[in-house]
Amino acid sequence: MTVAAVASLVVGITIGFVGQRSRMCFVGGIRDWILVRDTFLLKGLVAFILMAWVAFPLAPLIGGEALGGFGTPIFSAVVLTVIGGFGVGWVSILANGCPFRQHVLAAQGTGGSMVYLAGFFSGAVMFHTWVSPFVLELI
Amino acid sequence: MTGLQAGIVMAVAAVAAGSLFQVRPPDAYGICMACHGRDLTNWVVNDVTGWRLTVAPASMVFPLLTVVGVLIGAWVAAVISGEFRFRKPSKPVKNFFYGVLVMNFGLLAAGCSTRLALRVGAGDPLGVIGFGAMVGGIVLATFWIRRQALR
Repeated sequence: MTVAAVASLVVGITIGFVGQRSRMCFVGGIRDWILVRDTFLLKGLVAFILMAWVAFPLAPLIGGEALGGFGTPIFSAVVLTVIGGFGVGWVSILANGCPFRQHVLAAQGTGGSMVYLAGFFSGAVMFHTWVSPFVLELI
Repeated sequence: MTGLQAGIVMAVAAVAAGSLFQVRPPDAYGICMACHGRDLTNWVVNDVTGWRLTVAPASMVFPLLTVVGVLIGAWVAAVISGEFRFRKPSKPVKNFFYGVLVMNFGLLAAGCSTRLALRVGAGDPLGVIGFGAMVGGIVLATFWIRRQALR
């Protein structure tokens, strides 16, 4: 498990560096395409998905673990995922960048994104103290 | 560096972390700003207060440090390229609540925008549904902000 922590730190540094140099954003691509028909970030999003799709089956060939397989989703999970996904998309556009982009912006000195991150991490505690029990109560 | 190159590098890093370096379970967990941030925050809170907030199995013993890594990596890149500059937040309260909302929606969908894209690549049906919903949210919100701007 310590392997995972070290690996995620290295991965984080890599993608943070790359993300800062390229201004990569996972919601900005679609937004820029709609607003000004700019495909710079959209290409990044598409390349990310395609590359992941190619790399997941390749990883076991070089000694990695294969994906465990995904079951048929149950109805309540679908509803929650749709609500969550829609909310992530909508609020990320209002906040001017996906969570990854906000981390990069905060690291290069944007105060607004630093405040965003403060809310982001408090949100995690709020979710598991209030929202999650409430949602479990509903379903 | 172009967005295309960044997307490829990030996908390779995400798959490698998940498949080769034990950043799992759950599957397709290589990069997720919301879930890894949740793991780190909750792990620290649990450690300090003795609470039992949820952390993913991958973060049980020691939390994933993706968030810390991204901040370090982006900071180094910004300093090297001379782009580091402190800007005062113009609407701090608004930004704070955007952060709270995105984290809550992200945990509801089990993934921020990055992990939803990663789950599409992994072929998770729920991930595809969530990604579709996210694209819907992005499109509607973009038209919304354009309407606000043109008024």
